[in-house]
Amino acid sequence: MSWRRIRTLIWKEFVQISRDRAMLPILFIMPILQLVLFGYVVGSDVRNLNLAVLDQDNTVQSVRVVDAFTSSGYFTVSARPTSDAQLKDALDGGQAVVAITIPKGLGDAVRSKRAAQIGVIIDGSDSRTSGVAAGYASGIIANLSSQFYGTGGAAMTAGGVNAQVRVLYNPTMRAVNTMVPALLAFILLMSTSNVMSQAIVKEREKGTLEQLFVTPIGRADYLLGKLLPYTLIAVVQLTITFLVGVLWFQVPFRGSLLVTGGGLMLFMLAALGIGMIVSLMSRTRQQAQQTSMFLQMPQMMLSGFMFPIDALPKWLYILTFLIPLRYILVIVRANFLKGSTFMELWPQFAMMAAFSIGIFLFGLSRFSKRLAD
Amino acid sequence: MQLPWTKTQQARPSGMGDGDAIVVSGLRKTFGDFVAVDNVDFRVKRGEIFGFLGPNGSGKTTTIRMLCGVIAPTSGGGTVMGYDVVNEPERVRENIGYMSQKFSLFQDLTVDENLRFYSGIYGLTPEKYAERRAYILRMADLEGRENELTGNLSVGWKQRLALGCATIHEPKLIFLDEPTSGVDPTARRQFWELLNDLANEGVTLFVTTHYMDEATHCNRLAFIYRGNIIAEGTPQEVKADLMADTILQIAVDRGEEALAVLEGLDSVEEGYMQGSLVHVNLGRRSAEDAGLREFLVDRGFEVGAIDRVEPTLEDAFVHLVTQQGGRA
Repeated sequence: MSWRRIRTLIWKEFVQISRDRAMLPILFIMPILQLVLFGYVVGSDVRNLNLAVLDQDNTVQSVRVVDAFTSSGYFTVSARPTSDAQLKDALDGGQAVVAITIPKGLGDAVRSKRAAQIGVIIDGSDSRTSGVAAGYASGIIANLSSQFYGTGGAAMTAGGVNAQVRVLYNPTMRAVNTMVPALLAFILLMSTSNVMSQAIVKEREKGTLEQLFVTPIGRADYLLGKLLPYTLIAVVQLTITFLVGVLWFQVPFRGSLLVTGGGLMLFMLAALGIGMIVSLMSRTRQQAQQTSMFLQMPQMMLSGFMFPIDALPKWLYILTFLIPLRYILVIVRANFLKGSTFMELWPQFAMMAAFSIGIFLFGLSRFSKRLAD
Repeated sequence: MQLPWTKTQQARPSGMGDGDAIVVSGLRKTFGDFVAVDNVDFRVKRGEIFGFLGPNGSGKTTTIRMLCGVIAPTSGGGTVMGYDVVNEPERVRENIGYMSQKFSLFQDLTVDENLRFYSGIYGLTPEKYAERRAYILRMADLEGRENELTGNLSVGWKQRLALGCATIHEPKLIFLDEPTSGVDPTARRQFWELLNDLANEGVTLFVTTHYMDEATHCNRLAFIYRGNIIAEGTPQEVKADLMADTILQIAVDRGEEALAVLEGLDSVEEGYMQGSLVHVNLGRRSAEDAGLREFLVDRGFEVGAIDRVEPTLEDAFVHLVTQQGGRA
């Protein structure tokens, strides 16, 4: 190993990156773009859901029910069917995603403090929207229930979800807040593994890899010459993401840079390892790109990055334990938002360290072996 | 696999003396069931241009990669500039230059940056770098283009810059793997002039090529075919076997068809295309044209000149390969 050779390799890598018009935007614009897209699109709240109202009661109480829905801001009345058949048409035709039916006798029931039912029908074809809508609807009805009967009487029900919490919590803030810390880990994974594999495959494609190994450059020199520049770039990317998240999206940082940063550095080993493995499986840069995409999909879906993993079927849920991104997401989110300490997060740290070091060493050994053939 | 005697070999002072530049014994490399190089032995003397010839896939590049210490042999071994290729690959690589058919320059670096990169890798002092840089720019005719992106240079320039980068540390042995493939004839000639200059300075050159005319520049040759060396010696020695044979060069239209017809004749031992001309070897027969003209004319070919020619290296190669029971 020679520090001079490593320095020369790093210098070369940076000159190449600065000339690469495809790589440069990926490195520095992609994190911001992803942050903005995920922050605003995925992290945005479900509002103004179209609501169909079938009011068969037409009393003061039934009007209050409809008002409660519209004044919440989550629902806009888009159809007023007069029969069950029309209501079904409204849902089928997409005029409404949620329908409420108020049966005749609601007013009487409320006045005489008897149990009453309001039917809520939700279009389940978009599970995300319908989940949120169900939460809102039950929250609104539970709220009405306490208005109509006082806090003691809960005769009017609309499902088993504790909706009170949903309404009290501000979902807009929550979505962005959980998204930004998660993006730190996600961008680190995508960008590092991608760029690393691209850089190696490009070198092989152009034949320069072959040339480098007939010079005195050793394997350790070459790997450090690749790993160090991309580690440095990853640190810059993380700083950008962090600053945009905190300053622009106003996500409160309650954790410690040591825990979040240390966790991310550990996780980067996994990303670099994946990058090396991808570079070994691919002959062209395009193949490397596709392989990366292929590997990213399950990681995105099964880590809790976008969708909660608790709701997964059991066999799929078991698979999530094999995805290092899952552990780092818990670490950054908990530390970032709640200030959880290392002592509280150590099981996640332990699992992630095991996976990251394992993947990194595996990638390294395969890589060294491949260079020897 | 480590052979028992490699240890004793290493015990003697390595990298010293005036021994041969390359000594190879029993060198073998297999990839799974495929035998890429099969028990190869040869020597290359210091200061000679050694041609390593053979068709694509015959094991040329694999041999070079083993000699450069890039890949380990399955068995056997050798020394390069006195260093053991298995045990001292780093010392080997410090003492050789290597240039491949891809002229593996960094296309997205400038001429100067490529030179600076290799200077850093070989650990040149700033003074030495300045001296070598000036020399290489002059040699490659690149003065005034120092800041051009290498990717924008013409092939001939790239090739000479690649030679410059591969020799920036003034190695005494240079491996050139198909250095002239894909280069126009003028650039090829200029390139061989540079190689001859290096050879005159005492540098050993190990060259692979499939241009047989280039092989005549070599002091000695080895033919490798299907992982085996099937002939070795000076160009004259390699051709000696054929000197007594009658080789006819036939100018004919529809050469490929004519060749197919001629190969069916008992009197024709070997035949192949040399450019647009058909070469046939009639073996040890003195008959000047063996009735081939009439034979071809009868079959509707337009036949031009038929000349008896001195065997070329290509003739020798076809002959050797035919003896091995294959086709070149």
